[in-house]
Amino acid sequence: MSTLLIKGGRVVDPKNGIDAVRDVFVKDGKVAAVAEHITEKTDKTVDAKGLVVTPGLIDIHVHFREPGREDKETLESGSQAALAGGITSVVTMPNTNPVADNQSVIEFILKRAQELDLIHIYPSGSITKGEKGTMLSEINELKNSGAIAITDDGSDVQNEGVLKRAMEYAKTIGILLMSHCETKDLTEEGAMHEGWISTKLGLPGIPASSEDLAVYKNILLAEETGARVHLQHNSTAGAIREIRAARARGAKNITAEVSVQHFALTDEECLGYNTNAKMYPPLRSQEHIDAVIRGIQDDTVDCFTTDHAPHIESDKIKPFQDAAFGFVGLETSFAVIHTYLVKKNLVELTKGIEKMTVAPARIIGVDRGHLSVGADADIAIFDTEKEWVVDEKKFFSKGKNSPFIGKKLIGKALYTIVDGKVKYDNGAIVTK
Amino acid sequence: MVVVLSKKSPSAAEKDLNSIRKDRDLSFFDLVSVDQVSIEDLALLYEVARRFRDYKTYKFSFNKGSSQVNAFFEPSTRTSSSFDLAAKQLSMDTAGVAGNSSVSKGESYLDTIETIDAYNVKTIVIRSKESGVPEMLARHTQAAIINAGDGWHEHPTQALLDVLTMLDHFSSRGGSASGGQTKNLDGKVVMIVGDITHSRVFGSLVRLLRQLKAQIRTASPLTLIPTEVERFGVKHYTDVNEALIGADVVYALRVQSERGANGYIPSLREYSKMFGISRKRLDLAKKNAILMHPGPVIRDIDVHSALAAVDPQSQILQQVENGMAVRKALLWLMCDRIDGKTKEFKRK
Repeated sequence: MSTLLIKGGRVVDPKNGIDAVRDVFVKDGKVAAVAEHITEKTDKTVDAKGLVVTPGLIDIHVHFREPGREDKETLESGSQAALAGGITSVVTMPNTNPVADNQSVIEFILKRAQELDLIHIYPSGSITKGEKGTMLSEINELKNSGAIAITDDGSDVQNEGVLKRAMEYAKTIGILLMSHCETKDLTEEGAMHEGWISTKLGLPGIPASSEDLAVYKNILLAEETGARVHLQHNSTAGAIREIRAARARGAKNITAEVSVQHFALTDEECLGYNTNAKMYPPLRSQEHIDAVIRGIQDDTVDCFTTDHAPHIESDKIKPFQDAAFGFVGLETSFAVIHTYLVKKNLVELTKGIEKMTVAPARIIGVDRGHLSVGADADIAIFDTEKEWVVDEKKFFSKGKNSPFIGKKLIGKALYTIVDGKVKYDNGAIVTK
Repeated sequence: MVVVLSKKSPSAAEKDLNSIRKDRDLSFFDLVSVDQVSIEDLALLYEVARRFRDYKTYKFSFNKGSSQVNAFFEPSTRTSSSFDLAAKQLSMDTAGVAGNSSVSKGESYLDTIETIDAYNVKTIVIRSKESGVPEMLARHTQAAIINAGDGWHEHPTQALLDVLTMLDHFSSRGGSASGGQTKNLDGKVVMIVGDITHSRVFGSLVRLLRQLKAQIRTASPLTLIPTEVERFGVKHYTDVNEALIGADVVYALRVQSERGANGYIPSLREYSKMFGISRKRLDLAKKNAILMHPGPVIRDIDVHSALAAVDPQSQILQQVENGMAVRKALLWLMCDRIDGKTKEFKRK
């Protein structure tokens, strides 16, 4: 029997329509009550006066690199980074080594996550064997061993025939198919968004059409097959336009995410050949950012992710064209949303929280992301006034690359609670 | 123990150059982009370069005791040899690392260049097939980094010598109202034809021409022009004949087959027919227009053989001569700073 009381915080629980000062009472790992002035005697009390209390955040797009590249990240370091960002559940991408195209990798991740006992880790499996885009993985085996979804994130299924059969097969099994959405024939050797900045830097560009075409292809096939399809890291005006049009046609089986960097930063971050700003999809130009923000405002975009993608330093100290794609985002994502959307009055805090809690939970079909009585007590507590400068030396992640390094953000997680236990407390991971 | 080397008394030629220089310094420590070159820098460089040109291969002792490494990670003929000769004619010691360097064995550029930097060289001249390598490396070396061409980005010394060639041409034709040297290209129409997308020569030239107020035109198929190129202040033509009308300078770029540019046009034959500079085409430009090319010329594709080197309108060999002079001026001014200032850098 353990109890915890979070006193006097502004509770933002979008699923239950709560945005008010409340106490949250946690008993045996579950939410026992959310009410004003709870006076129960508890083992531990957190004074949340002036702070924002939300359901633990959910990030359905992260790369934890284990198994295979433990030098870049491990399930442990990745989980710690998540906790530092107020994130209590993640979906890991399958492009590990070996690729999560078989049940042993899925089982390994689940077993390791249980041993670590830090956050909830939902592994995804690959659509095709080795993410090679040709032969389907044993998707039913993946699902039975615990894969929450399938995706070929990082490479994408280029062949439309294979993609269509994958969707039909996914529907047969009843598993979510997530698509990375990239047309390699249009990306070619592209290293950043194709536009004025790529021209200035003399770098090969990735045209917006590379993403637009893949998004459109996925939508058509999702509509034709009726499979549950989730479009990952949308970053272009075209992608948003096509998703909006599909919704208007009545498509209910398509959901979409935006990775938080894609509404916060433009391709100008690449100036000076800053490899920390190299990622796929690339940071786009302002008109795309504006379109993405409109998509968030009208709910064309369902949820936020980070696409947390750690790399070692030597993969980034390279000519821009040769440097690795991706950066770490778990420890900055809430602050980025808060700084670039909420503080700029573009999106209300409740909508921002909704897209980091109940919305992603609904997409992957788990009962999380809310503070209903009886729910697992995954809770994050933020100081939304806290200004801080991003310093990579303080990252829990093994990856030290971020385009936000040196930038001032507003809002920081102070406590992260998983299953009723405080796992992160003012800058430190709480170990048993 | 610090050994103080006494300078030999300067020769008459050196005194002459010093009298041109008038104790001026360049504003930059590394040269990775022509954007770093101010109008004052340009004036200083050109005054000194013109005088170096007069002395031809005379060996100056200005940079005695300084060393230079020429790190050409991509093939080069005229740029590497002229940087090497320029350094030697200033009494520098030089070494070259090239295709068989450790980079090809997997060592990172940064480790290679930091090793070279540890020899306490004054200048490292770098050519790389990737854009941005000189800029990245310049942040980590005490030596001055000179960009001798990076990917599709820039080739600053090429633009410097090209603009010197243009200015001299217009000055010799009484282009300057004051009777002195022409200082800018105001009102001059420069037409650049060829593979613009993959051209670092274009990258530097367009920046410098813009600073000197030239009217810049480009001509190429739309497959060989980068996105939003008009933001450089250029007007693009898909018909080279139209672009040539009224041009003062016709600048042909090579269609660079080694960068896979061949995938961007059906054949060199068709390209040559549509965009190659022939006698007939050159006649569309102004009567005394000059023809320029950074080399290597692919004869009868970019430029017809009859025009390449021998035609009186061709400035191609003048460009090569100016290349030596500009690089000599640059190396002297970069290695021998009157103000004694050193650059800020940090080891990785």
